[in-house]
Amino acid sequence: MLAPVISRLIIAIDTGGTFTDCVYRSRGRVEVLKLPSTPDDPSRAILEAISQIFASNPAEQVEVRHGTTVATNALLERKGARVAFVTTAGFEDTLAIARQSRPNLYDWNQHRPAPITDLCFGISERVTADGSVLLAPTESDLDHLRRKIRDSKAKSIAVSLLFAFANPAHEQAVAKALSPLGLPISLSHQILPEFREYERGSTIALNAYLAPRMQTYIRSLEIGLAKRKATISIMQSSGGILSAASVAQEPVRTILSGPAGGVIGALSVARAAGIDRILTFDMGGTSTDVAMLDAAREPATTSEGQIEGLPVSIPMLDIHTAGAGGGSLAWIDAAGALQAGPQSAGADPGPACYGRGEHAAVTDANLILGRLHPDHFLGGAMRLDPSRARNALSAIGGNGFASLEHLAEGIVRVANARMESALRRVSVERGFDPRVFTLLAFGGAGPLHACALAHALGIRRVLIPSAPGALSALGILDADLRREFSRTVMLAPGSSTVAEVFRALESEARSVFASESARVILKRSADLRYHGQGYELRIDWSANAVARFHELHAQSYGYSDPARPIEIVTLRVQAIVRRSKQAKKQGAPSGTLWVAQLHRAMGGKRNKIDSDIALLSSHRIFENGRWRKARLYNRARLVAGSCIIGPTVITELSATTYLPSGWSASVDPFSNLILTPQGAARR
Amino acid sequence: MTTRRQLDPAEIAVIGHALHSVAVEMGAALRRTAFSPNIKERRDYSSAVFSSAGDLIAMGDDMPVHLGSMPMSVAAVLADLRLESGDVALLNDPYRGGTHLPDITMVAPVFLRGRKEAAFYVANRAHHADVGGMYPGSMGPCREIAQEGIRIPPVKLMRSGKMDMQLLATILANVRTPREREGDLTAQLGACRIGATRMLELVERFSLARLTAGINALISGSESLVQNVLASLPAGEWSAGDVLDDDGVIPSPINIRVKISIDPKRRRAVVDFAGSDPQVPGSINAVYAITWSAVFYVFRCLLPPDAIATAGLMRPIKVLAPEGSIVNARPPAAVAGGNVETSQRIVDTLMRALAPALPGRIPAASSGTMNNLTIGGIDPRSRLPYTYYETIAGGHGASPQSDGASGHHAHMTNSLNTPVEALEYAYPFRMIRYAIRHDSGGAGKHRGGNGLIREVELLGDAQVTLLADRRSTAPWGLAGGGAGKTGNTSITVNGDEQELPGKCTRELKAGTSIRIESPSGGAWGKDKV
Repeated sequence: MLAPVISRLIIAIDTGGTFTDCVYRSRGRVEVLKLPSTPDDPSRAILEAISQIFASNPAEQVEVRHGTTVATNALLERKGARVAFVTTAGFEDTLAIARQSRPNLYDWNQHRPAPITDLCFGISERVTADGSVLLAPTESDLDHLRRKIRDSKAKSIAVSLLFAFANPAHEQAVAKALSPLGLPISLSHQILPEFREYERGSTIALNAYLAPRMQTYIRSLEIGLAKRKATISIMQSSGGILSAASVAQEPVRTILSGPAGGVIGALSVARAAGIDRILTFDMGGTSTDVAMLDAAREPATTSEGQIEGLPVSIPMLDIHTAGAGGGSLAWIDAAGALQAGPQSAGADPGPACYGRGEHAAVTDANLILGRLHPDHFLGGAMRLDPSRARNALSAIGGNGFASLEHLAEGIVRVANARMESALRRVSVERGFDPRVFTLLAFGGAGPLHACALAHALGIRRVLIPSAPGALSALGILDADLRREFSRTVMLAPGSSTVAEVFRALESEARSVFASESARVILKRSADLRYHGQGYELRIDWSANAVARFHELHAQSYGYSDPARPIEIVTLRVQAIVRRSKQAKKQGAPSGTLWVAQLHRAMGGKRNKIDSDIALLSSHRIFENGRWRKARLYNRARLVAGSCIIGPTVITELSATTYLPSGWSASVDPFSNLILTPQGAARR
Repeated sequence: MTTRRQLDPAEIAVIGHALHSVAVEMGAALRRTAFSPNIKERRDYSSAVFSSAGDLIAMGDDMPVHLGSMPMSVAAVLADLRLESGDVALLNDPYRGGTHLPDITMVAPVFLRGRKEAAFYVANRAHHADVGGMYPGSMGPCREIAQEGIRIPPVKLMRSGKMDMQLLATILANVRTPREREGDLTAQLGACRIGATRMLELVERFSLARLTAGINALISGSESLVQNVLASLPAGEWSAGDVLDDDGVIPSPINIRVKISIDPKRRRAVVDFAGSDPQVPGSINAVYAITWSAVFYVFRCLLPPDAIATAGLMRPIKVLAPEGSIVNARPPAAVAGGNVETSQRIVDTLMRALAPALPGRIPAASSGTMNNLTIGGIDPRSRLPYTYYETIAGGHGASPQSDGASGHHAHMTNSLNTPVEALEYAYPFRMIRYAIRHDSGGAGKHRGGNGLIREVELLGDAQVTLLADRRSTAPWGLAGGGAGKTGNTSITVNGDEQELPGKCTRELKAGTSIRIESPSGGAWGKDKV
């Protein structure tokens, strides 16, 4: 029988290095689908997922919301396009000189990260700080520039001229002259019309570096979805989503696309559970993203971010990434020490136990240790091959280990150390004691390693949300549509130009969001400072913005001086299309929630809850150098109030949770697993 | 009570990082609120936290030349003043806790409720773009310190939370850009307040007893870190010399000599500058604090990169510098360039001495100068006086492992450049060119890093001062590697180009452009060819 056709289906898809996670709402429930990623062309897995979802959920319209690693990976692997960087003549080395400082004060053997391109061109032109033209580019210079760029074999162009934000005429002239080359062109006055030429130039060059790949990728998604009435939007590093058409022009906004979804998802889980201070631990196949969050507030973004040491002056959530994941390969280094990562088995071939790869990954070690069950991986959808895992581990040649299991335990410990230092970076190194935080673990592998990391950091509460392997996708499903429009102006607060620029930014925002059916909320803000300072405070724009500035200055920096003149540096308009509240309310995904609801409907007799209905079988786990008896549970059948004692493995569709000895787990009313070291509650 | 128990290593690390964050946050507050481009864009400042005894317990990752010498500012304040709650001390006297006059240091006590003694001190130092004296920017070729600017011994700027307006008025009456100075001083005060507030929060969070236990553990931890490094070095005495071009007055080189005695058994070292030239008439004399900072820097580089720096680091190392010499000047010697130029040469000399002791670790000489450019005049746009100060990076010396980096600041400074767009908003200049000085690094197995070229045109008449070195003696190579190129400076007036000496001051007309080419790094190892 054919399923009934629904009018609008919203699917969130998070592409990871190993798996592509999809979540969608169907008949009032959130469903999860997990497929292996196709790194050579990530759109293949996405189109396959959409076909599968469509087969059971035919819809008239589809909205695809996507977290992508296309930009991140191109940057990490330095596989972006060859970029021609065009700037004002005399300043061709802007990217190479950077800010002339060295990254580390006390290292005699260091270089700054290489700039994204060394193919730099100058054009004789000059605009001054107030926007007046000192020297206009000549036609013959522009022709010459076009020929040089054509001969350079560049595949993408970045243009960032001095003071172009004050007067874009010369960038527009350059763009016009270069358009016959048919290459993507990134213009600084469009993408980041703000002062400081190095940071702006770096951002624009990165955008150009990513543009051809992102455009090809989005085109292939669009072609694949052409037969369905689909709209595509993409998660940005700031935690808001944006139409695919905009992202194709400004891919630099998506460098942290996937991880941002995780942060938004983690925030909604923490808020629902009433927990404020969380450390997020999102461990996937190839990397781990961590962040420190106060769930009582909007997540902080920074415009002074860096990726691989290169500045990106586009708003990004404050996320730290470590190169360790379930697919991280284990190896013995020249000094005889065991290592895990940063090389990864990725999705293809994947860890040895997936059936194709030959090299041992962290996942293989977890399987050997009994922390993964060969028949209950991805809810049984994929059988793991223990013998392949054992062969792969044997091939490493860890002679110093008493057994293969001891070696496997060593691999997990080494991987944990890398992730521990990432968590310390965002907590201890900022002067925060991780022990007062809840570790919110997700991603396909997060729940396997969470307790060991909590132990290492002294954390006493771990939260595993429902469908942890799909939390990033869930965050993307619930994210608001968002984009910021800004311009550096350098004006006094009374200037009539302020209102004029705000109106121009708003009309730009409306035209970018023209295709949205829902209401666009426009929020004005401004970066203010005392005249002569070098940094600004962002103030929501209102009649008393100036008074707010004095207040915030005193609060942030220990003083204010109402007698000093104020300068408006940058005006900003934030355009937001909110996800409807109703969509958000439907909450936790997959089977677990309705079980909890059913249980509550039956009167919720907490003390009589029997977790045995969720017991799958008895099991064996290797921990601390020996085999121990353990049990294997099915998370989907655990209900609120259930309590389990480690050592235990809890499987579900999107991830596996390992509860070591000395830890206990309970299910809270929101279907989260709460893991605590035994005895901790009584302290 | 759990306060008496031993802290575990995790707690010590958390406390170390928490203290470090206080220093970093103070620096950030200063950077974000200062008015001199020098402080806000170039980050020519530093910040640190001290124990009740005045021992350094945390410092920001700022300017190496400041950091080693900050403890001496705090010591000078504690020797001269009794700080009460709400007081803030200020000083810039190089002969009483300072380095050179433009560096103004503030020290604030942190009092806990109901206690008579300060529990901690927080301090920050910023390089002000002008502190008066003969030349705009206060970095000119003076002959004695009285010509270099206003000299302030440790005094109280704030008493019980109230600003001493008479003192402030006196300071502001002695500088060229009083409004900007006032803004920068207020920013420094604000940063002290932020630091003090954060320290009180730490006491709240950890308790004073645990915080103190953590601090003691951190200090003894850094001491044993250095002791372990000293224990791993070869025993012996290692000597070397290097020279500064001249002092801008007498055209002859100035010698710095050092002997480093390492005693791995007793895990101690003595660094003796005996044999260095006497102090000179020009303004490149270094006070002892600078010399001490340079030694601190070199030994800090031998430690693991993430080592937490506290007072314990220098306990096993003794620094001897003859009084009245170029490395331990006495009044009335002029000292503006000691901080920026002589400090770099002291590092070069120390590294040259250590090269045979630590083969495989010591790189060739880097640019060896900060290429200080100071410009002052009346801004034709606003008709107000301005002063501008900038340092220009050069090439790094090649190491036994790799080529030297190009256009990087080396050793005792790490100040950023002023962005062209920030510079033209703030000053009546037009930047003509900012580029890598290609193919200027020393030739060898590993090439020295290239210097930079920075060319700026004046849009109004101005007094231009240059304080630079390595104009006649090039940055040396090591292990057979060639030397880097020397630096040079020229001005172009109506199409006529003329060269300027390394240390000079000139009154120049609008339309003149100034071009500086910074020195490059020396190479390491012989070329294969």
